[in-house]
Amino acid sequence: MMSEAGDLTTHVVGFCRTLRGRGLTVGPKEAADALRALAAVDVSNRRECYLALRAVLTSRYDDLAVFDEVFWEFWNPPVPRGTDADQPPPDLPALAADGQTPALLSWLDEALQTQGEETIPAYSPVELLTQKDFSAFSDDELDEVSRLVVAIARRVATRLSRRMRQVRRGHLLDLRRTIRHSLRRGGEIVELAYRKRRIQKTRVVLLADVSGSMDLYSRFLIQFIFALQHALGQVETLVFSTSLTRVTDALSESDLRAALAQVAHTVPDWSGGTKIGQSLRTFLTRYGDALLTPRTVAIVISDGWDTGDIDVLEEAMGELHARAGRVIWLNPLLGSPGYEPICQGMRVALPYVDVFASAHNLDSLRRLERHLALRRR
Amino acid sequence: MHPEIARIQSMLDGEGYVADEALATSVYLAIQLRKPLLIEGGAGVGKTEVAKVMARALDADLIRLQCYEGLDATTSLYEWNYQRQLLHIRMLEHSEVPLEAKEREIFSESFLLKRPLLQAITHDRAPVLLIDECDRVDEEWEAFLLEVLSDWQVTIPEIGTIKAKHVPYVVLTSNRTRELGDALRRRCLYLWIDYPTFEKELAIVRRKVPGVNGQLAGQIAAFMQFVRRAKLEKTPGLAETLDWSAALIALHRGHLDREAVEQTLGVLFKHRDDATLMRTQWLDHLLRGVEEVEREPVPWNQETINRVAERVLPK
Repeated sequence: MMSEAGDLTTHVVGFCRTLRGRGLTVGPKEAADALRALAAVDVSNRRECYLALRAVLTSRYDDLAVFDEVFWEFWNPPVPRGTDADQPPPDLPALAADGQTPALLSWLDEALQTQGEETIPAYSPVELLTQKDFSAFSDDELDEVSRLVVAIARRVATRLSRRMRQVRRGHLLDLRRTIRHSLRRGGEIVELAYRKRRIQKTRVVLLADVSGSMDLYSRFLIQFIFALQHALGQVETLVFSTSLTRVTDALSESDLRAALAQVAHTVPDWSGGTKIGQSLRTFLTRYGDALLTPRTVAIVISDGWDTGDIDVLEEAMGELHARAGRVIWLNPLLGSPGYEPICQGMRVALPYVDVFASAHNLDSLRRLERHLALRRR
Repeated sequence: MHPEIARIQSMLDGEGYVADEALATSVYLAIQLRKPLLIEGGAGVGKTEVAKVMARALDADLIRLQCYEGLDATTSLYEWNYQRQLLHIRMLEHSEVPLEAKEREIFSESFLLKRPLLQAITHDRAPVLLIDECDRVDEEWEAFLLEVLSDWQVTIPEIGTIKAKHVPYVVLTSNRTRELGDALRRRCLYLWIDYPTFEKELAIVRRKVPGVNGQLAGQIAAFMQFVRRAKLEKTPGLAETLDWSAALIALHRGHLDREAVEQTLGVLFKHRDDATLMRTQWLDHLLRGVEEVEREPVPWNQETINRVAERVLPK
């Protein structure tokens, strides 16, 4: 494949750097392993090199496609099959930054077309870029919500994890310490030593729809999110409409007014249209690994009006359901009499939802409390 | 192909595991670079099997650690043999041995119960350590494992630090129910095992199912390829294919027909919704697919399957 060892090293390092640029977790250590791997295989056999480098340099399923692409770009300016011999030294390929454009364009076209046919309320594919002023909250309302949410949060925070709940009947006996103590008394067990249960807080990931169709409820949501954020250390808040924005940091401001102003500032398309599936997908890809565990309760607050690709929504919900401990979907419309979840987005999402509840008034928020205790499947 | 990779492939082959080049290369590199091999893929594609076969091929012992939520250091590393300790204390009750000596004695290695990780470290020949379904453990244990995998030593307060005599060959498997941390991933070689192609599945059925005739093997493999195109709660893997084949043989079925499939549906679909979906909406299409494949010219391959699937199966 390569004539000199020095060449090979340079190319492998370049290749690793390209992979890194494409988002793979490849550092100097992996580059060193790649060289060791190549030393262990037959470098004149391209397939073997490919397999060896792939084993060393990828670390998850999603890496594979990227790896393939980069590998062929980098090592292999199209050569007819079967001529594995001398290759021209590969150039560092210029990455096609606009590689996604065609897909994006066709997707946009589709979205615009469907808009004409369907009359879905309050959906707009265009980001409305509305800047909202949140200074109009009444103070008693705020107090009530804050009090309630603090109560919810306290319960969730001190709730014991399932593993520890199993031993609630008898405390966990610490045999090692018991025996150690007994030794001092000639082997007589006088005191039993117990292990303490650890307190494990439930993580909460809040995905709040702030699009136009949810406008009425956004005040409520923000209050709720804000208070929850303060009572639990482990709340992540993300808002979405046509795109997804993480606002956890913005909400950490101690003054609610300032925090809300900040959020409105951070989220440019506040009260724009909705792309739920797309937003969830973004969430899973960008934050899923870090935020989703079997101890995570994922809460989605949305009315389910989504004119994006419905398959994307379904797939994303499936994944969310699989990776989070529990999925709660809050739909304010559920509070209105006679509402049936028949809009398409809601329908495909429902099978993956563990708890479907309303969030249209304080009472419904209060009822939410009992769903937050995490029972594993 | 590198002679060693070829050797591993034929060795895996000899152990009844139909291995492709990617798998053989990964196993070879795991042995050569002494890096843990992380295997991911759907349920029942033969992830666990790799470790078993690897142990046989290396003529090494296999030590298996089955993971579950709540697995902790005590159950995976070591525990003291409390019963023996208690008994021993009783026996020493009237002896003149000073307390410290007694304590030292009952916390010595002979009172130690070695759990899989410690077993692997203290083994007198490098074993294959299989850490199965490691996506089920929680993050704390994952961090603990990472520590063991990087240092190959563990510290037991009462005894001291035990260093590995021989670094084990490690195979980790994951079903991706939870994403593993980056740190652990980066420590490992990575292998993704996909559901088998038609050719591979056919070869495996022929090889692993005693008493299967050529026609039935082909029908089974084709049927499975079609089934995996359905959107199911739990897509059946190779393990299910083999169980199902065995069930059909046990019922003396020489070929697939509606009755045979309906009788044995429970072997393939472990989820009630899946079984219902198959029986009510897919079965006709699947059976027609198998029929159509048989009308295609031999030898059948993945392309035959794709072509027929395109024509026959529901979108």
